Amino acid sequence: MATYDGIFEALGLEDWCGSSASSAPMSMSDLVAQSSGDGGGEQQVSLWDTPFPSLDALNDACAAMPQSRDVTKGLEQGFLSIKDSLKVVLDPVTQPLSWMLDGALYGMLATPWWIVIPALLLVVWLVSRSAALVTFVGVSLAGLAFIDQYDYAMQTLSIIFVCAFLCVLIGVPIGILMSRSDSMRRMTTPVLDMLQTLPPFVYLIPLIFLFSVTESKLFGIAIILYAIVPVIRLTDLGIRLVDKDVIEAADAFGMSQRQKLFGVQIPLALPTIMAGVNQTIMMSLAMVVIASLVSAPGLGVLVLRGIRNLELGVGLVAGLGIVLLAVILDRVTKAALQRINSVQQH
Amino acid sequence: MTEQKSPETRVALKHLYKIFGDDPEGAMEHVTQGLSKPELLDQHNHVLGLSDINIDIPDGKITVIMGLSGSGKSTLIRHLNLLIRPTAGTVEVDGENILDFGESRLRTLRQETMSMVFQKFALLPHRTVLENAAMPLAVRGFAKDDRQAEANKWLDRVGLQGQANQHPNQLSGGMQQRVGLARALTSNAPIMLMDEAFSALDPLIRTDMQNLLLELQEELHKTVVFITHDLDEALKLADKLVILKDGFIVQQGEPQKILMKPADAYVEEFITDINRARVLRVRSVMRRDADLEGVDDAVDAEATLEDVIAQSRGDSSACFKVVQDDRVVGRLDMTDLVRALVPAIPTAEEDAPRPAA
Repeated sequence: MATYDGIFEALGLEDWCGSSASSAPMSMSDLVAQSSGDGGGEQQVSLWDTPFPSLDALNDACAAMPQSRDVTKGLEQGFLSIKDSLKVVLDPVTQPLSWMLDGALYGMLATPWWIVIPALLLVVWLVSRSAALVTFVGVSLAGLAFIDQYDYAMQTLSIIFVCAFLCVLIGVPIGILMSRSDSMRRMTTPVLDMLQTLPPFVYLIPLIFLFSVTESKLFGIAIILYAIVPVIRLTDLGIRLVDKDVIEAADAFGMSQRQKLFGVQIPLALPTIMAGVNQTIMMSLAMVVIASLVSAPGLGVLVLRGIRNLELGVGLVAGLGIVLLAVILDRVTKAALQRINSVQQH
Repeated sequence: MTEQKSPETRVALKHLYKIFGDDPEGAMEHVTQGLSKPELLDQHNHVLGLSDINIDIPDGKITVIMGLSGSGKSTLIRHLNLLIRPTAGTVEVDGENILDFGESRLRTLRQETMSMVFQKFALLPHRTVLENAAMPLAVRGFAKDDRQAEANKWLDRVGLQGQANQHPNQLSGGMQQRVGLARALTSNAPIMLMDEAFSALDPLIRTDMQNLLLELQEELHKTVVFITHDLDEALKLADKLVILKDGFIVQQGEPQKILMKPADAYVEEFITDINRARVLRVRSVMRRDADLEGVDDAVDAEATLEDVIAQSRGDSSACFKVVQDDRVVGRLDMTDLVRALVPAIPTAEEDAPRPAA
């Protein structure tokens, strides 16, 4: 006799429920109840202890009701059953990501350090035009190389470059679409909210089922999903914040949508978009560490090793290396942002 | 639509209504049934922005639309190039209803027929002054050299020699608006819309800009539609003056006529504070077909009363013959002149009783 027997009796559903013996797998609490000798549970439950009419509680009264574990099981089976067809579509679409990541990782490591470091410094100089920043980046990279973290740092950097580049490539057009249509914005915002609040580990679970852990696109997708949000949001915001008067002037002089987008909106939104790119790069760095759980190479692997084997020193050094990379990436993108701003101010 | 335009009308607004709200068309029905602006707002939560606007904008003249803030003047000027679309009515440019235009034809109209100057300048901050001035031609796909040559010409014309490579933020407000003016002129459009173009400027710079506009207008004869809340500015620039209040036209016509015969108390109150001696012209005050016996001194019909007072040296018994294009057209007695300076006293030419004030 379970709490909600009365309800099914009142509704005349006993036949549908069938025999009182539950066909569902036995839960832990059932087992405990059985072994403590109460048997089927004939005891009366006081009003105070009435359980919420959850699936499990209803199942006690009526065997035809599904149990909560059936929900998770159904979800799992549903995912597994569409997995193969999903793979047919997703595999070829995401394959270039694997190639790009593998290529970048290979290229970065196969090129000798005395080419890579000056090349990176040159890029820093080109975007920032600041000798102090170039010096800082040079010293930091040399320091990392000196304690033999060079390979790991370069792996992390090349993953970030590829993923951040793809985030911008995909995110900016989505942001532009959002800024143009309110319905697009209404549809996209919940997805972005979800991507931003979902714990990063949760992305990894379905991805592991979809792709093999040996494929680099697995962590590539996880990083892109996590890091693309700010660039989309800030592109949308930046374009919406462009001075209404200037837009009106563009309209009054008969600019086409295209001329307005490339001649007015994007240039004027560029500082905001760049702030989004900065955030995207920082978030890919955060995710690349977590993604080492699913075989992403780089400094994250060392952190993971530090946790797994309780190698305190290894973990700490790798952690400091990540901080150093974060500072470098942040300063360089901020310097680039500043230059764009100052061009517009003058 | 089928009505024949008089040749000098460039743009005609006919029975133009603009209602702001969720369902303008629905609210429009109430308005045609005679609901007033406050009633519409109370009962249906829609704002009647413009109500039954009819204006013929003459070719090659400056038409000034004047009203206080909230009178709908900025809304009105945006109907001329359809930055705002009306709820009802037509906008005819050169006899064609531009509401029927498709997107690309409307764009061509905005590129080639109409240019606009904005209150807040609305320059592109990331482009140089030269690129800003050349923008209308860039939009039309002109080659870089051509458009920059044209832009340079107009930048020089509005007094911005040597500033071409500055960015707008490096210029003062007055200079930025000169760029705005140069941009409108570079487009070479015959119609120029000016939305409170000088309102954001200091008084002295504003006077400079007004003089510049008049000077350019003497040479170019554009069809200018000028929006302002400043009556002095309106009277200085206007060939035709339209006074707007709460989305209605209170009075329109030649400024001198409005000064001499204000349509109602609102207009009268509006014009009490101005310096009439500086604004009124001899032709508005003189007597036509009057006896010219013993009158020797001559004044020009376009002279202001202030000029005449100076010429008479304050002699209140003086009288003048009025000359226009070397022809004597009338006679001006100082007594008439003095009476014209006070709005409440009917002047010589005025026979019809004025509406109750």
